[in-house]
Amino acid sequence: MSLHSLMFGWEYPPLHLGGLGVACQGLVQGLLRNGVKITLVLPHANKNAEREVTVLTTDDASATTLSVPSMLQPYDTHGSYDIRVGNISREDCDIYGGDIAGAIEKYTAASVDISKNIAPSVVHCHDWMTYGAGIRAARHHRVPLITHIHATELDRTNFQPNRWIYGFEKRGFEAADRIIAVSQYTKNVLTEHYGIAPEKIAVVHNGTSEHLTPQAGLGMHSRHGAKDHPMVLFLGRLVLQKGPKQFLDMAKIIHRRRPEVQFCVAGDGDMLPEMISYAVEQGLHTCVLFTGKVGSREVSALYNRAACFVMPSLSEPFGLVALEAAAHGTPVVLSKQSGVREVLDHSFQVDFWDTEKMADCVLTILREKPLALQLRSEASRAVTHLTWQHQAEVVRSIYENLIRT
Amino acid sequence: MKARTPQSRLPNPDFPSVCLYFQVHQPYRLKDLRISDVGSMDLQYFDTDKNRAIFRKVAEKCYLPTNALLLELLHAHPHFKIAFSISGVFLDQCKEYGEDVLESFRKLGETGQVEFLAETYYHSLSCLTSLREFLEQVSLHVRTIEKCFGTTPKVLRNTELIYRNELAQIARLMGFSGILSEGADRILGDRSANQLFAPPDFKVSLKDQRTIRSFRPFNKAQRDIRILLKNYRLSDDVAFRFSDKSWIGFPLTAERFTDWLMGSGGFTTNLFMDYETFGEHQWADTGIFDFLRALPRIWQERGILARTPSETIDAWNQSKQPTPCYDAHEFLSWADQERDLSAWQGNRIQTAALAAIHALEKPVRKSEDPRMIDAWRKLQTSDHFYYMCTKYWSDGDVHKYFSPYDSPYEAYRRFSHALCDLRQMLEERQTPES
Repeated sequence: MSLHSLMFGWEYPPLHLGGLGVACQGLVQGLLRNGVKITLVLPHANKNAEREVTVLTTDDASATTLSVPSMLQPYDTHGSYDIRVGNISREDCDIYGGDIAGAIEKYTAASVDISKNIAPSVVHCHDWMTYGAGIRAARHHRVPLITHIHATELDRTNFQPNRWIYGFEKRGFEAADRIIAVSQYTKNVLTEHYGIAPEKIAVVHNGTSEHLTPQAGLGMHSRHGAKDHPMVLFLGRLVLQKGPKQFLDMAKIIHRRRPEVQFCVAGDGDMLPEMISYAVEQGLHTCVLFTGKVGSREVSALYNRAACFVMPSLSEPFGLVALEAAAHGTPVVLSKQSGVREVLDHSFQVDFWDTEKMADCVLTILREKPLALQLRSEASRAVTHLTWQHQAEVVRSIYENLIRT
Repeated sequence: MKARTPQSRLPNPDFPSVCLYFQVHQPYRLKDLRISDVGSMDLQYFDTDKNRAIFRKVAEKCYLPTNALLLELLHAHPHFKIAFSISGVFLDQCKEYGEDVLESFRKLGETGQVEFLAETYYHSLSCLTSLREFLEQVSLHVRTIEKCFGTTPKVLRNTELIYRNELAQIARLMGFSGILSEGADRILGDRSANQLFAPPDFKVSLKDQRTIRSFRPFNKAQRDIRILLKNYRLSDDVAFRFSDKSWIGFPLTAERFTDWLMGSGGFTTNLFMDYETFGEHQWADTGIFDFLRALPRIWQERGILARTPSETIDAWNQSKQPTPCYDAHEFLSWADQERDLSAWQGNRIQTAALAAIHALEKPVRKSEDPRMIDAWRKLQTSDHFYYMCTKYWSDGDVHKYFSPYDSPYEAYRRFSHALCDLRQMLEERQTPES
C-alpha cells in the first residue's frame, strides 16, 4: 500500500519570511522522492486563484495542492493579522475572517471540507494555525495525526505566551499520535513547558534545500584578501525572538576594537524603527546598515559577502538561516538557545545574552584566517549531508510505524 | 609464536613477561581569555581553579587510591614491577595542588620496583617542530625525575607514543637504551609486537648530531637502542573496553585476562596505558581496582614475570635473540584508530596553532625570561592541540569527552588569544632595543 499524507502546510515564501514555508516545501519534496503521495492544503489569500497552485518544482503526479481562501500567514499574531485585514473590504472579511480567531475557524472548516473526499493514510500538520484542521481531518478520515512543530508560541514571545495560542498548540500536541519537533531543543520545550511525554516526540532536524547546496569551490574563495572592510551579518525577522538588539550590543563591542568592521541587519519586522534608533544611540550609525526586507538573491549575495554570520536568537527552535549561511561557506556564530546547533558543530556557540563573548568569537574569526577557512569549508561540507531527502526518509518511517500500530 | 621447550622452574619461559607502563599527565587548561585582555594578561593564561578542581577530582578517584593499592601490591609481591612516565607539568601541578599525590608516587619509587621513564617535560609535540626544544624539554624532565625520585630514567617515551625511525636514533644519541612506541599493524605486518625491535640504521645529520651533543641529558650516546611496542589489543582491553557491556570480552576478569596474556606468546607483552584508566576512565564501580588487585597474585601463581622496560631490554639482550627491525618512516602514535598525528595535526586550526607557537621559539629564548619561557612551553602541551581536533567529532567521540571546552573552535579561540598576548609582550620588549 502506498503512503498518502494529507498535509496542512505553508506556501514557499517569495520573500524571505522565515523558515516555515521553506521547511514545508523541502519536506514535501523529500517525501515525494521517498514515494509518499501528498495532498497539500495551503492557505491562499487570493480567492480567485486557481485551485491547483504550483508551489512544488516537481511535476510529480503524486502531489496535489489544494488552496483554501485565507489571509493567514506564517508567524501571525492577533496584532499582525488585524493590521492586514484592516485594509480589506467588509465582504472579504466575511470570507477570510475578521480577526485571527475567526480566520483560523474559517480556514479550519474550509481545509477539512476541501480534503474530505480523499483517502489519506496519515494527516500531518505544521504549527499551531493548522492544528485545528489536522485534528478534525484525522478524526474524519480515522487516520493517525502528526503535528509538526517548527516554532512554539514560547519561542516567539520570549516565554510570555498568548494563552489562547498556547492552548491551541497544547491541544494539537495532545491530540497528536506523534509529534515531530525540529530539534532536541524544541523537544525539551515541549516536555518542560507543555507537559508532553518525551516518548511521543520524534526529533527530525530540518534539511538543506537543494538551492542552498554550495557550488564547487564557492566556499573556498578568500574574503580576507579583499580590500573592502569585513562585514558581519544578521538575517531574520526583526522581532524580539531573533535577538536584533543583542546583535547591535555585540556590534558596539566589536566597533570599539575594529572600527572598520561593517554590520548588516537584513530583514523586516516590528522592531525595525526601534533598532534603527538604538543603533544611532549607540553611535553605530556609520557602521550598521539596515536593509529591510530582502529577496533570496540578495540573501545569497549577503551570505557571500559576509565574513561572519551571527544568529543571536533568544529561543530558536531550529534556525534555518544559520544552515543557509553555513552552506554558503560563511563562518557562523550561534546562540546556544537554538536547535540548529545540534547539527552545526563547525560553529561558535554562545549564550544569546553573552554579547561580550559573541563579539569575542567574531573578532577571533576576523583575526584568525585559518579558523575562518576551516569553519567555512567544514561547515558547508557538513551541511551537504543534511538533505531533505534523508530527513523525509525518517518522516516516512514515522508514518509507517504509526500505520502499523 | 613458536612454542619453546617448557621448563619446570618458575618463571615459566613459555609465557611472555609483562611490562606495565602507566602514563601520568594533566595539562594546564586555558582560561576563557578575551581579546580585550590581549596585551595585559601577564602570562596568566591558565585556569587555576579549573585545573585545581580537575587535579583534585582525579587525585581522589585515581591517583591516590591506585597508588595506595599499588604500594600494597608491590610490598606483597616483591617480583611485581611497574613503570611510570610522569610529565613535568603533572609534577608542577602536584606542587601546586597535591603534594600528597607526589608523596604517594615517591613511596612507590622507594620500593625499588618502579621505573620512571623520560619524556618531554611539557608533554609537548616539540619533536615535530624543534630538535633543540625537544632535547631541552627531555633533559629538563630527566633532571626533574632525578630530583623527585632519586633515579635516572634510561628509557624514553615520547608524547602519546609519537614515534618514527629518526626519533629512535635521536634517543640513542641522547643516551637512552630504550624507547617506547605503538605496535602498529601497518608496520608489524604479520609479526608479533611481543618482542623487542631495533630501528633501521638512520644517519642523523651532522648539524643535528651537534645539537644533540649540546642539549642531551647524558654525556654519552648508546651504541644500540631497543624499541618496546605497545600490545594495543591487550592494553586497550583494559584501558578502553573494560566496562563496555557490548564487548564480547565483558566482564573481564583477571583470570581471563591472564589467559589471554599467556596465549599471546612471544617474549614480552607490553601493556601501556593512561594511569587514569584506574578510577577515572574506568570508574571504581566497574571493578577495575579489583581487577588490578588480582593480577600480581595470579601472575605469580602462573609463573608470569613482570618486568620494567629496562629489565625487559636487559633480559632481551641477554637472551641473544636476533632483534628484528621496526621500520617507521612516517610518524605514528597511540591515538585513535589512525595511530598517526591526525589527533593533533589533522586540521587547519591545529597546524596553524602549532606553527604559531613554534614561530615564537627564537624571540622567547632571546627574552631569557624564565616565566615567559615556562608559559610558552605550557602552551606546547599536546592536549591544547588535541582539544582542537574535529575528526569524527560529530559522533561524540573521545575527543569531545576529554575536552574541557565547548568545542574545538573554543579551544582555538582561547589558545590564539594567549599566543597573541605572548607575541605582543615579546614585541613590546624588543621595541626599545631596536
